[in-house]
Amino acid sequence: MNTKFSRRDFISGMSNWAVSSALPSWMPRMAFAPDGVEPPGDLLVVIFQRGGMDGLNAVIPHGDADYYHLRTQLAIAEPSTGNDKTGIDLDGFFGLHPSLQPLKDLWDEKALAIVHAVGSPDPTHSHFEAMDYMERGTPGEKTIETGWIGRHLQSAPWQNTSPFRAIGMGGIMQESLRGPIPVTTLQSIADFHLQGDVSQLAEIRKRLESLYSLGGSLDPIANDTFDAVDLLSKVDISNYTPNGNAQYPVTEYGTALKQVAQIAKAEIGLEVACVDIGGWDTHNAEGATDGDMPKLLNELSSGLAALYTDMGDAAKKMTIVTMSEFGRRAQENGSGGTDHGHGNCMFVLGGGVNGGKVYSDWPGLSSDKLYGPGDLNVTTDYRDVLAEIVAKRVKNQNLTQVFPDYTVAKTLGIVQG
Amino acid sequence: MTISRRDFIKTSGLFAAFTALAACAPQTTALTIAGHSSGNGSIGVIPTPIVPTAVVPTMTVADPLTILTLNRISFGATPEIFDRVKQVGLDAFIDEQLQPDSINDDATDQLMSYFTTLKMTPAQRLQDTDRAQPIRDLISATILRQWHTQRQLKEVMVDFWSNHFNIYIGKSLCRVLKTDDDLNVIRPNALAKFGDILNASAHSPAMLIFLDNAESQKDAPNENYARELMELHTISVNGGYTQTDITNVARAFTGWTIVGPNNLFKPFGTYQFLERMHDIGEKQILNLTIPAGGGEDDGTKVLDMLAHHPMAAQFISDKLARRFVSDNPDPALVSDLANIFTQSDGDTPTLLKAIFQSDAFKNSAGQKMKRPLDFLASALRLTDATLTGQAPQLVDHVKLLGQIPFDWQFPNGFPDVASFWATTSGLLERWNFGNLLTSNQIHGVRVDVNALTKDAQSAQDIVDVLSQRFIGTTLPDDARNILLDFASGGDLGSKIASIAGLILGSPHFQVR
Repeated sequence: MNTKFSRRDFISGMSNWAVSSALPSWMPRMAFAPDGVEPPGDLLVVIFQRGGMDGLNAVIPHGDADYYHLRTQLAIAEPSTGNDKTGIDLDGFFGLHPSLQPLKDLWDEKALAIVHAVGSPDPTHSHFEAMDYMERGTPGEKTIETGWIGRHLQSAPWQNTSPFRAIGMGGIMQESLRGPIPVTTLQSIADFHLQGDVSQLAEIRKRLESLYSLGGSLDPIANDTFDAVDLLSKVDISNYTPNGNAQYPVTEYGTALKQVAQIAKAEIGLEVACVDIGGWDTHNAEGATDGDMPKLLNELSSGLAALYTDMGDAAKKMTIVTMSEFGRRAQENGSGGTDHGHGNCMFVLGGGVNGGKVYSDWPGLSSDKLYGPGDLNVTTDYRDVLAEIVAKRVKNQNLTQVFPDYTVAKTLGIVQG
Repeated sequence: MTISRRDFIKTSGLFAAFTALAACAPQTTALTIAGHSSGNGSIGVIPTPIVPTAVVPTMTVADPLTILTLNRISFGATPEIFDRVKQVGLDAFIDEQLQPDSINDDATDQLMSYFTTLKMTPAQRLQDTDRAQPIRDLISATILRQWHTQRQLKEVMVDFWSNHFNIYIGKSLCRVLKTDDDLNVIRPNALAKFGDILNASAHSPAMLIFLDNAESQKDAPNENYARELMELHTISVNGGYTQTDITNVARAFTGWTIVGPNNLFKPFGTYQFLERMHDIGEKQILNLTIPAGGGEDDGTKVLDMLAHHPMAAQFISDKLARRFVSDNPDPALVSDLANIFTQSDGDTPTLLKAIFQSDAFKNSAGQKMKRPLDFLASALRLTDATLTGQAPQLVDHVKLLGQIPFDWQFPNGFPDVASFWATTSGLLERWNFGNLLTSNQIHGVRVDVNALTKDAQSAQDIVDVLSQRFIGTTLPDDARNILLDFASGGDLGSKIASIAGLILGSPHFQVR
């Protein structure tokens, strides 16, 4: 058997694919891998909060008195009062920022887990170094240029030749996706088709394919683009209605998540989607319960909740994980914000998550427990979280390739399987 | 408060300012670059098929180094630029471009006069009821300048420094202050010494807001500017500084702030030093000791030290080489440039000349992919596109191409390597933009492909004339044959627009 049928074969075979009558008519049910070797695991959605989220104000350690000593302006009040401006208690020690209210139901139904005091062991406080390290999955290592997801796709023991196997939302390719497996970047499904003089479009397409078959460095990307356009042209998304009255935020982030759901439900081979949400670099006027950060938290959480709801039953086979390049300084600065820090929190959401629990070896916030210039320490390596998801939910056991030179330090038990 | 990207990027009229501008006939004529005056056709008019004439097109073939150089120092080398080089020689043309004030650019200046917020004070912009107007104006003005200015190399350097000292225009007051940064910091210093633009940027109200120094207090200094000043503006992440150095730089700049909106005595949005916010203690930063008791001068000393630091010479040289030569510049070239940087006190024109004279540059054809704005501006320039009098719908395309000026949230500026830009959606949008532009399907913008090919009589002539115009030379045979095959059969006149679109979409047009 030819184990690597070409992407062309994949496209040309599409007309034979069956459309399941159980699905809405816009949804072509497409085979993207030979029978029996479909991806066995979950759809993985990776959300990167660019700028460095203030994890101490997202999931507050209200049981730690030092939190309130360090943050006289920014601290979120203890959950006891019932006021909607206070934290939402999770376990007596940690609480959600009130703007994360959309996550509360998911917490209660144990679909949401939180990891705290988590992050990269590298001490850098540079956004760009920290993001590169985090997305490559190789903290401190500057010579490896592939991303952890790219290496996962490469090392997975199954086949999937769909151009939508991995997508980078927002039109950019997240560094975590970099690797030998093609990635489709996407801003807008509706715009993702060839345009021009309609009467000549077929001929134009043919010549473009030829122009990008002359051995140039852009040829492989052009080839991926044609494949992706062809495949997406089979998906009619004009009257997409999210399931369960899911309300996505009307932002680029919310739109990106909605399109992830559309592509996932179209069953065109999606395995991994990367989505960004920016604006977390809150050096100034961060806001306690009102302001930039609370707004972002609301956008983040309502998007997560919408995607989970929209996916319906399919959420059972989806894992969403959030990350950010670093957390922020434990003590607020003089301008109502927080400077670059270290440890942070991550959200893990999905049907296979052992939720309703904060996974944390809490290091404390007293001055002798802080890291570097006064940051929350990292007691859980973020790769422990990702490795467990990759192995147990996505079902790729080749962790030495996903995270080279790293041995999982602790088994969290954060997901089932 | 941060303006969300939607607030100003939505189609609600980013380019609405063009409407008034284009509706004014004399200025519309001024938009055309010499020689063609086809600007007043209405939207949707399909050009009549060409009538073949007996005139054989004249093709001036420039040498490869000229083509390479002009592609790198402009947003698209028009026939007029090639003519000028033919007239005065390449070196003299570069010298001319390095003295932008010697080049008449009245037509561009006149275009700028339609963007009313460019002439306002920050206070006036703040009072504007349309909060996004200053943002729209500056973005539109920037694209229009890249498209039209005669001072092309200066504009390329404006783009370079705008990214080097990137300010996200959507962050709080930056929406009303970035305009001044553009006009008073970046533009006057685009071809100055590095220390001058660094100093101007450090005093820029938009920068003081963007990197939060305006709020930095002596008791709890804000580190944002201090860190990026070293990491991104001068000595790079490899500059050898510590967290203590960052804290001390932040202390040195405490008190460097702006006049706020409620000040009754001083104009809002201007730089000021406030003694009462300043930390007067001693500061040790790398090898620099700043004695206790200093004031505003503490920051100046830091800037002076950083501007002349060997790692700054290295870092700026590396970035210039990345912009003009290759995504992975030869370390020997960077090292040579760093020496020249030190000898010339960071003189940008001296560095640029050294780059253009280097063997690494001369051998670098094909090594730089156009960024989206390079692509957009070159497509508009080389197709001799004109505005029709209706609001151009360029915004959707600028967004899909992925590079709206000043819409990069991070302080490091848009990436300058192909690996970032060579994506499926990026490539698809380039193809679409080329096809839509040449077939006059981009509302408010018109291209007259018949005028571009008026002397061409055969399919070969058309393909060659358009290639010549768009990429400076005829296409290699393999690509040329593909287009000739497309042109063969059927009505040639109806295919000219698509031939032009295919060349704009070809791999050959994606490099600069």
